[in-house]
Amino acid sequence: MLKAFSQAEDGESRPPALRMTGIAKRFAGVQALKGVDLDLRGGEVHALLGENGAGKSTLMKVMFGIVQPDQGEIALDPLGVVRIDGPRSALAMGIGLVSQELSLVPQLDVAQNIFLGRTRGLKLVPRADFRREARAILDDLAPHLDIATPVSALGMADRQLVEISRTLARGGRIIAFDEPTSSLTPAEQDSLFGVIRRLKAAGKAIVYISHRMKEIRAIADHVTILRDGEVVASGPIGDYSEARLNELIAGRELSREMSAEKPAQVQTNALLELRGLSSSRVRDVNLSIKAGEIVGLSGLVGSGRSAILRACFGIDEVSAGEIVVAGAPVTPGTPADAMRAGIALIPEDRRGHAIVPMMDVERNFGLGNHDRFTSLGVIKGSERRRSVKRYVDELHVRPASISTEMRNLSGGNQQKVVIARWLATGARVFLFDEPTRGIDVGAKAEIYALLRRLAADGAALLVVSSELPELLLICHRIGIVSGGRLHTIVANDAALTEERLIELAAREDNS
Amino acid sequence: MTELSSLPRTDAAEKKPLASSRRGDALRKASVAIGCVTLFVVFSVLNTTFYQPSNLIDIMLQSSINAVIAVGMTLVIMTKGIDLSVGSVVGLSSMVAADMLSHGLLVGVGAGLLVGLICGLLNGLLIAKVKLPDFIVTLGTLSIYRGAALIYTDGQPIYGLSKEFRAIFAGRLLDIPTPVLLALAVAALAFLLVRYTALGEQIIAIGGNEEAARLSGVNVERVKVTVYTISGVLSSLAGFVLIARIGAAEPIGGSGFELQAIGSAVIGGASLFGGVGNPLGSLIGALTLGALQNGLTLMNVPSFWQYVASGAVVILAVFADQWTRKRG
Repeated sequence: MLKAFSQAEDGESRPPALRMTGIAKRFAGVQALKGVDLDLRGGEVHALLGENGAGKSTLMKVMFGIVQPDQGEIALDPLGVVRIDGPRSALAMGIGLVSQELSLVPQLDVAQNIFLGRTRGLKLVPRADFRREARAILDDLAPHLDIATPVSALGMADRQLVEISRTLARGGRIIAFDEPTSSLTPAEQDSLFGVIRRLKAAGKAIVYISHRMKEIRAIADHVTILRDGEVVASGPIGDYSEARLNELIAGRELSREMSAEKPAQVQTNALLELRGLSSSRVRDVNLSIKAGEIVGLSGLVGSGRSAILRACFGIDEVSAGEIVVAGAPVTPGTPADAMRAGIALIPEDRRGHAIVPMMDVERNFGLGNHDRFTSLGVIKGSERRRSVKRYVDELHVRPASISTEMRNLSGGNQQKVVIARWLATGARVFLFDEPTRGIDVGAKAEIYALLRRLAADGAALLVVSSELPELLLICHRIGIVSGGRLHTIVANDAALTEERLIELAAREDNS
Repeated sequence: MTELSSLPRTDAAEKKPLASSRRGDALRKASVAIGCVTLFVVFSVLNTTFYQPSNLIDIMLQSSINAVIAVGMTLVIMTKGIDLSVGSVVGLSSMVAADMLSHGLLVGVGAGLLVGLICGLLNGLLIAKVKLPDFIVTLGTLSIYRGAALIYTDGQPIYGLSKEFRAIFAGRLLDIPTPVLLALAVAALAFLLVRYTALGEQIIAIGGNEEAARLSGVNVERVKVTVYTISGVLSSLAGFVLIARIGAAEPIGGSGFELQAIGSAVIGGASLFGGVGNPLGSLIGALTLGALQNGLTLMNVPSFWQYVASGAVVILAVFADQWTRKRG
């Protein structure tokens, strides 16, 4: 009786599959979540938006039992209020999490991974049953996958499918995706969206976390925006324009840096020239970038975009051709050589390749600059502190302290410190690999402005990005890479659109 | 330098955890001191001989050999490496030094240091250049160097070290035992190295994120070779103290010193996960282990049990490292 009444009142025919109420969590002095409510319904894709540190991932960890909330409760549709004390119990209750770091064992095959953790102790693994069941799930989700393939042989997209299958094999009804497309090609993204739509049609409740507005638009039914651990808005996606979503995420009106502003004036002298550059992953790349110019590289992940940067920076061995900086052939053999030649690489994986998280800002800044700030091996502390303070001021690094440990900075601020490091080495050629990966909407604008400043000051920039709007926003020219070759370079004029770039890329793929 | 002051200012994303890491570090540093002080208090209560000045000097003297090795070990551990061969380097270099002392003090000392340097250099080259796992390389050279020490005199000890040698490495200066002064000097120099030189910062960076260090232009291989070489040279110095105190060199000298040294480094706050460590802390770590053994001896605990106690304390220290790391 009561149930029928409440349904009639809120006009919803389905009760939420999972309801979180008043979830609060405090980590050593930081209130990560301040009483968050979230309803997930079967057959609905619920997008969770917010800047880094807004609390999205913490909320998902609470839902998956990795983090225990200080307050609040989680209720599941038929079970009522439940206690999720670990991933094991989350899976048992039908909750799955597909995160950026997948929890698969590379040495085991697909079927073994899907059923990992299902048998315990000395019980025999019912291998034949598992294989049959795995096959049945995959037939539905990913017919192209062979259950006997070791996961180590699979690409990122297929690994995600295995992870999803694992959740489904446990009878999963609620599946959360944390930035699932960050390492997928456009084709793989499309196929993932197909999978998500099928899961939705099968009545699963989906949580979708992403920084990419286009994806949210394409896939989500409902959106909830978190800021500083609180829900600032929640409702059907159709109620919000993209500009409104960006405002809600950043908590203020976005400044006009996001909108296209005329790029810097290109000078006449070529600063970086690649002549027939080849390595194990790229072949015969020819490219010339002038001082003040920003050239973008577009293409699928694995097409060789990043490999071009790696060869320029002395990470991958150059097998043929040469790299010329300001007229002088340099062709570096190690990153240290590249640095001396005035080349800087700002890598995609900031945490893994660019910063030492436990060291403070000053020492991270100093890493590439030991020659400049030492005499006889002893660091000239006050001189270096003066220099790093000046950069922190000019690049608006926040917090504006040089003794903060790097891990306590947001992604955008870490990126600024990495750029400052290279500015201090006197680099003139900047290679950026996904410069705004994992960076908030607000901070992105700053990074774009910084890239434009670098160009305006006469540097040459080569920027790899998976985000076409980003390339269209900042680049003078855009090159398309596929199969380790740089095929076409087009001028970024008014006629160039995302659609046109996709079309060009597709043509290269087919040729 | 590039002028970038016209950049737009955004104050987004300022809120981020601040104090959490500091607390972990403070806890880590405090735990070394608290552990050491507790140990001294407990033993002082249990045995009145323990806190007599002469006994305290004894503890320092007994800890000095280990302290010198532990300082080198600390630098290695800070790069996320390990050097298990230190005890065998002690044995081999002290045998060679004892033998060469018959040709003069400088020849003996020089030859011993050279052996330590070569041993450490070989470890470093195999690890950094050939890229073999540090654990396996130094486990292998632990056996090789020990074997070489035994081969050198066909297993016989060498007696009759010169007076000056013993005066330098086991004498007294201003009434303080020279090994204590040596340990203090080595630890202080290493502290300055870590704190104020590019090499020190590169050691921390490699331990913290080797790939980031390499991509920032740090010559990772050279730094690694350097720390293993330092570890080898310091082991040979420790070997001099060992034979000078005994008055003879034995090929099995230094056996088992690796555990003591690793233990001292970890008790002193070095993290086996790399990037964290302090040579002065390791000095305190060595004193703590020395005090433990001294106290147990005074209480007539059989030496067999002292092995058990030392091992347990080392494991406890590693556990504490993991624990503070998780909380930090």
